[in-house]
Amino acid sequence: MPTPANPNRRIFYGILVSNLVSIVFVGTNKYLATYLEGNETGNSSGIFIFSSFVIVPIIMGAISAWYWHPLQLKTRAYIGWSAISTLVACAASFVFLKEGVICLLIVSPLILTFIVTGALLARMLYNRKNNTLNSSLAGLVLVVLITDTFSSHKNVQLVSDTIIVNAPIEKVWPFVVEYEPITLKEDYWLFQIGMPSPVQSTVDGHEAGAGRKCIFSNGYVFDEKMIVYKPNEELTFDILTQPHDPEIMGHIDILRGQFILKDNGDGTTTVIGNSWYKLYVFPGWYFNLWSESITRNVHLRVMEHIKILSEQGV
Amino acid sequence: MFDWVVRYLGFLKHVPVLPHVFDALLKLTSLLTNKNLPDYIDEIENEVRAWPNTTVHVHKFGGIQFNANTTELGHIHGNGLLDVLLNREQKSLLMKKYPVQDHHIFKNSGWISFWIKTQEDKQTAVALLRYVYDFKIHQSDRVTL
Repeated sequence: MPTPANPNRRIFYGILVSNLVSIVFVGTNKYLATYLEGNETGNSSGIFIFSSFVIVPIIMGAISAWYWHPLQLKTRAYIGWSAISTLVACAASFVFLKEGVICLLIVSPLILTFIVTGALLARMLYNRKNNTLNSSLAGLVLVVLITDTFSSHKNVQLVSDTIIVNAPIEKVWPFVVEYEPITLKEDYWLFQIGMPSPVQSTVDGHEAGAGRKCIFSNGYVFDEKMIVYKPNEELTFDILTQPHDPEIMGHIDILRGQFILKDNGDGTTTVIGNSWYKLYVFPGWYFNLWSESITRNVHLRVMEHIKILSEQGV
Repeated sequence: MFDWVVRYLGFLKHVPVLPHVFDALLKLTSLLTNKNLPDYIDEIENEVRAWPNTTVHVHKFGGIQFNANTTELGHIHGNGLLDVLLNREQKSLLMKKYPVQDHHIFKNSGWISFWIKTQEDKQTAVALLRYVYDFKIHQSDRVTL
């Protein structure tokens, strides 16, 4: 088959048109899903539904393949140009949606995988020239897109971690309530590349109803209210306000935190850290992996610090 | 990793599009671990496509499938695993001639599996597909190995 004229233009259009279409789909999905959820959107910047990161990239790949398939490109070229398309989508999100770099780093493997899937699948389908099949698949994709947009989107998760502190419970409790700045070296890779990590906690009282602040690196402050204050037993606090930062914040609300202490009867204490969060980005199975990992590392950084402080002088 | 997914998550292959997502992931990782592999698969596809009465489709469980008329000759997954369908007699003949294995799932069937990693493997894969093609086109076992 002869190669069509202007192959570079076809490649360029494949990237440009697919990205323009994605802006329309993602923008519409986000607006509709956020509008339909009403007050359930909390402090988020809006809801990004499953389709935005799965169905839309598949459509992007299919649109790109529409322009590219007459060029008889190799598979590696499809993957390479799909990667460029992913970069363009991320750059556009950075500029126009004010998304953070780490946020885009997290989402880019998902987008790339589905753009490649869409492009390679569509390439085979276009080559078969079976318009009935192609139309059916396009219809199926649109049905999923519309159904997803009008479905309910709620994703509240709990992350729980446990640590043993080699100190009696009364030595541990004060550091659970508030602690001096953490000086431990960052050992979680997302913290190392700039994601805010917990630094210090302060309280303005020692009773239920008192305020608590959790200060993160970069100066971010989570304002909290202690709702359960049982010395040597349990501290539970609701998060009242949290920073609007492009890195993660805006797509997740931390709802509540909790420390439960258990006396092991041998001079050691079990500390259980719990956090409840609500995600506004889907698919949950993908973003929960990340948010769980991040929350766990926030827990562990704080709990390791509590352990060190509590064990000093024991 | 591939074996683990096939073994423990294989039931998900019936979810629409999911096998193709997995195959795209295999292609992406193949490009990182063996950058020439996607080219070998493309070259095999072009070669088989040139034989009379052959067509190339998306395999229902991910990868590309080669058909002669309406009969499947075999399919290649994104990680370079070629699965070819024969009968048991032909299978035992081929296993003596080529470094092929029992199918990665259906050990006691007429299917065989062959890993494509090098240029030589690519030529072997073409030879295997050609053997099956000739066999199925002529519906005879008189094909010379």
